[in-house]
Amino acid sequence: MNSLVNVGVSQVGFAAQPSVLRTILGSCVGICVYDRMKKTGSLAHILLPNNPGDGNPEKYADTAVPLMVQRLIKEGCKKEFMSAKLAGGAAMFKFNSNVALGQIGDRNVEEARKMLEKHGIPVVAEDIGGNAGRVIDFFLEDGRLKVKAGGEEKLYYKV
Amino acid sequence: MHEQIQKRIESIITNLDQLPSIPDVAGRVINMVNDPELSFKSMADEISKDQAITTNILKLCNSAFFSKGKEITSVDRAIVTLGIKEVKDIVVIAATREVLNKAILGYDLQRGELWTHGLAVAILAKKIALAKNKKAVADVAFTGGIIHDVGKTVLALFVSNTFKEILSTVESKKITFNAAEREVMGYDHQEIGEKVLAKWKFPEVLKAMVRFHHDPALAPKEFLEMVSIVHIANVLCLMGGIGIGADGLYHELSDVAIKALGVTNKELEQFYSDLPVVLKQTKDML
Ligand SMILES: [Fe+2]
Ligand SMILES: [Fe+2]
Repeated sequence: MNSLVNVGVSQVGFAAQPSVLRTILGSCVGICVYDRMKKTGSLAHILLPNNPGDGNPEKYADTAVPLMVQRLIKEGCKKEFMSAKLAGGAAMFKFNSNVALGQIGDRNVEEARKMLEKHGIPVVAEDIGGNAGRVIDFFLEDGRLKVKAGGEEKLYYKV
Repeated sequence: MHEQIQKRIESIITNLDQLPSIPDVAGRVINMVNDPELSFKSMADEISKDQAITTNILKLCNSAFFSKGKEITSVDRAIVTLGIKEVKDIVVIAATREVLNKAILGYDLQRGELWTHGLAVAILAKKIALAKNKKAVADVAFTGGIIHDVGKTVLALFVSNTFKEILSTVESKKITFNAAEREVMGYDHQEIGEKVLAKWKFPEVLKAMVRFHHDPALAPKEFLEMVSIVHIANVLCLMGGIGIGADGLYHELSDVAIKALGVTNKELEQFYSDLPVVLKQTKDML
């Protein structure tokens, strides 16, 4: 069964092959972590970079990444077989540079990269920035990522 | 500019029959609530004339978002328990669902996405109004949120034929998506939305909120605050990916709106950070 799992804003999804994890992104970032041996992975849809300590670890890049890694390890995955892909982090087409929230997409991407590096998980592909919304499908059968943005589709196979 | 398309749009907006319709009760109730002498009974009578909508309204009254705990089994009770303004918004939700809760293909929105987007913008707009001490008009912010993108339902067909051109106009001329809609088709979804609201006999403030939700700087002074509330709520929902379509974030986050409401950077981030709660409340209403 090739079941499709929708991951909502500030949620973290987990699945194994042959499932597909899907989310829709604006300035949020989709962090996809995949274990190529176990064919199991996790998709976090983070809204903001840093957790102020509000008890919602899934909402922030800095707390979502450790949560994903821990849970994948619990499922029998190994860090050495894990790799990550990032998508999202778009910005409004026009905004005043004094408005800090305008940069939130970039800050989300930066924090996600930083946390993945800290956990020793290489980022093998990125589809980030710009002004388009993205619908992303993360296929656990081979770890590929399909990104649909501005009426076009792109595929990232590297794991 | 595609004159053929512009002409077709023109013929749609000048021929009221071709614009979407909603039950008349919505227009009547929405205008009633401005009457300071309005009695609960006359409002209840008006709503009860439309039996089909009444069933829907009672369901919404008892949904997690609106419910005050006690089960509501009649329109009379709804007005007494929830108040006139709250019931007015419930009427608008029930009346506009059919028009808004469908796939909007030209904008790449699946069935339900525009509807969820409108409700989420409505809930966030109300939150913003309350946070900025505008309790008296928080209900208007909510109504405006529900319907702000209604023009997309009419324009979608034409956008699907011209999408590539609109997007390349955005990039070559460095203009927002709705400005490019005007360049390519002669109209944008805000202008069409205003025409739809005129057909529905909705008040001026709501027409302004629909007409200028991407361009608060152009809004008449008297409506600037209300337009700004819906503008900011809309931008934040799009940034959160709620109802983001093919037009993506090719829009402006307007400084005029931020200043008009006196929203600080911190507040803006807080509203954005509230999106998961807003989305949860939206789903409770579906
Ligand atoms: Fe819009
Ligand atoms: Fe919108």
